Amino acid sequence: MGAQQAWLLAAIPAGMFLVLALFGRYLPRKGDFLGVLAIGTSFVLFFFVLHDFLHVGAGNWPITTSIDWSDVGNFHLRQGIYVDPITIVMLGVVTSVGLMVNIFSVGYMRGEARYYWFFAVLQLFVGSMLMLVMADNLLLLYMCWELVGLCSFLLIGFYWEKRSATEAAKKSFITTRIGDVGLLIGIILLWKATGTFNIQDIIHQAQAGHIGHTYLFVSVMCIFLGCMGKSAQVPFHVWLPDAMEGPTPVSALIHAATMVVAGVYLCARLLPLFEIADGALLVVTIVGLVTAVLTGFMALVQTDIKKVLAYSTIGQLGFMFVALGCGRPDVAMFHLMTHAFFKSLLFLGSGSVIHATHHNQEMDKLGGLWKKMPITGTTFLAGCLALAGVIPFAGFWSKDEILHATETWSGGWVFILLSFAAVLTAFYTTRLFIRTFMGEHMDDEVYEHTHESGFTMTFPLIFLGILATVSGFVVWHGVGTALGFPGGITEFIFLHEPERYHFEWALLGASVLIFGIGIFSAAWLYWGNSTEKSTRLAQWNPGLYQLLVHNFYFDDLYQAVIDRGLLGFAFVVAWFDRYVVNDTGIDGSAQATRYSGFIMKYAQSGRVPNYAMGIALGLVGLTIAGLVVRG
Amino acid sequence: MVPLSNYLVLSAIIFALGAYGVLARRNAVLILFGVELMLNAVSLNFVAFAAYLDPNRITGAIFAVFVIIVAAAEVALALAIIIRLFRNRATANVDEVATLKW
Amino acid sequence: MATEVLWWIFAVLIVAASAGVVFSRSVIHSAIFFIGSLAGVGAMYAFLNVEFLALVQFLIYAGAVTVLILLALMLTRSGATGSPEKTDGPQKPFAIIVCGTLMGILIAVAVHTTWPGNASDKPTGIAIDAISNRLFLDYGAPFIIASALLLVALVGAIILARQEEGE
Repeated sequence: MGAQQAWLLAAIPAGMFLVLALFGRYLPRKGDFLGVLAIGTSFVLFFFVLHDFLHVGAGNWPITTSIDWSDVGNFHLRQGIYVDPITIVMLGVVTSVGLMVNIFSVGYMRGEARYYWFFAVLQLFVGSMLMLVMADNLLLLYMCWELVGLCSFLLIGFYWEKRSATEAAKKSFITTRIGDVGLLIGIILLWKATGTFNIQDIIHQAQAGHIGHTYLFVSVMCIFLGCMGKSAQVPFHVWLPDAMEGPTPVSALIHAATMVVAGVYLCARLLPLFEIADGALLVVTIVGLVTAVLTGFMALVQTDIKKVLAYSTIGQLGFMFVALGCGRPDVAMFHLMTHAFFKSLLFLGSGSVIHATHHNQEMDKLGGLWKKMPITGTTFLAGCLALAGVIPFAGFWSKDEILHATETWSGGWVFILLSFAAVLTAFYTTRLFIRTFMGEHMDDEVYEHTHESGFTMTFPLIFLGILATVSGFVVWHGVGTALGFPGGITEFIFLHEPERYHFEWALLGASVLIFGIGIFSAAWLYWGNSTEKSTRLAQWNPGLYQLLVHNFYFDDLYQAVIDRGLLGFAFVVAWFDRYVVNDTGIDGSAQATRYSGFIMKYAQSGRVPNYAMGIALGLVGLTIAGLVVRG
Repeated sequence: MVPLSNYLVLSAIIFALGAYGVLARRNAVLILFGVELMLNAVSLNFVAFAAYLDPNRITGAIFAVFVIIVAAAEVALALAIIIRLFRNRATANVDEVATLKW
Repeated sequence: MATEVLWWIFAVLIVAASAGVVFSRSVIHSAIFFIGSLAGVGAMYAFLNVEFLALVQFLIYAGAVTVLILLALMLTRSGATGSPEKTDGPQKPFAIIVCGTLMGILIAVAVHTTWPGNASDKPTGIAIDAISNRLFLDYGAPFIIASALLLVALVGAIILARQEEGE
């Protein structure tokens, strides 16, 4: 079992999907243990792959294997897997978080209707996501991209008896679909220019200068549209908060750790292309920056704990895109990894809270839960500290590296704006923690019934909590080599050359300032879980407050566009279809035929001399025509 | 004697007259006369060609023989039909037997 | 020289007789003119030195076919004998135009084309054994089929024209 068999990691969960979908209903315990078993196997096999990968040494990277898929005329297509350091990181993240979510779901989803289907789709999702990160050509990647989108749709709409859930599922699918159209166009454009779908071939051809720069820019931007859609960047971010209608384990796995980072992964994978196309990296940076700042603002006023985390996810994805825009895929993947751990931890923690309080998600009803749920509270605290970027938790190291990477852009404006977004992050994270776990409880009845969750739910929390604390240290050279890597994570993944991590005191000072301001201002505002001061702050500028509460009116804008624009256009098209296509084209041609028959029937006079005249005329006519043609 | 084209012109005239007979006569038997004239003209044409251009393998004359055979058969049948028609409709006028129409 | 004059006489005869067939107002007159036309064509065959065909023409065409047609004419007379029935149809003017055009084209083609081979004045003779050789040896199969055709036609004509019981 080596890196070349890495595709097994994807095949096992995908196969288990079929088993669970077909037979899950009839299995004991509805087959949930099979789901855990499948992903657990993938998780174990990942270590074999990792060991083999590190064993063969950096000289042999990347490791690939492929099969001949289609060979028709001039069109040759090979499908296969491509395992390089970026892939290894993604495989580790997806299998570990997937396993934890699966274990958590056993406790969280117990007693729910369609229990077996939940696990089935979860397996399909993990299988598709794993294949996505291993795909060596854009076609396979696109297929897996759509598959994960499908699984997201199915799982968001899991509680389809609720109208809001189905609406959210539709919204997610349509919004990402708009981005996916861009992705498809980009793929086709690249294929037209290079004649191949293989990612590495395309990159080599672009680096050799075979693709025109404007053409490359356009196709790369089209592909980036797909990344924006899937990773919920502004203006495609509207689906992710609504996606919280799905069960919380789904939010943890798909909308925090794995599916939404597919856009980041694709961008990191194709970063050499972005580099060659002038201006592409700037676009990426700006998009990420705008997203980070805007969603930071939007998260400030949310009262649903899951919504806060959703906006936080979008913002952190913005951070990752800024890192990519600075040309540092290693930093982006590093933040992706730490974010996956602490964000899924936070989501699972909130799931634990929701389960314990019998589906109470509003912070107005929560508070003071730490005494009642110590394990959840402690792990949640670890996650919050990681998210806020407090040393020595994982988030600090990755966020620090991103801030360091922004020095690529002269003028420091990226650094300043990103720091501001980081302050906002620390603020709302602290607000979230205080209002949920600390101070006075807001609702007696909810508080009475709350209790700590069972082992299936606390075990993943502890596991992820440990990871959220220590996973940041892999940036150090010493830690990396001790684990068998060639160095820290910035030496493992790199765009052009490995860069060893150096600790900078100035940056540490800036980071401490950032999270310090954020945490202390939030703590002061909400001390003891009182909303007095925050309410007064909201009334100080009601317009601004309304703007934030309505999420900068993005949803209203889109709805207006659909109502006026799309439906108006549909009206025109319907008119065209009824009157032009149907009445004129279809009915019209039928009527024309009938009418022509009505006229031509008079040729059948029944009189033989008439027919004979016809023959004679034809004969004469043909003779003349023949003579004329012959000249 | 006379050149070939004489015969061809002659047969053309007879053919045209026969065609006129087919197109412009009312009585079925008179139409039959027109058809027979046309067949005659064609036979004459073939035999003329055979005599002038192909005296070794006189295909045209053989064709004329067959034309005569088939014309005889055709006349017999046509007349049988006309007699039948006359019995049913008491008329041999083709303008009056136009019921297979729109 | 003499034969040429004779040829022209017969040619005029044929044309006049054919015109008589198609322009005559009386059906019986048409039949008589028809005999004249057929006889003329038979003479033409003789001029072409194909005496066998001339004989066949006279016997079968001018003889049997014409008699048959006259018979049918007798059987399909409507109204009292002697009363002129209308013989010309409504397509007459148009037919004149069409047939005139046809004639013009055919004559023009016939006159203007240079005929290959032996297009000289004298038609070569065709021996009767040549005809019989060709007819029975090379075209034996069509000959037999033609005789079968005749048989079928005869039987068909009998069936068609037969008087049913009580008719």
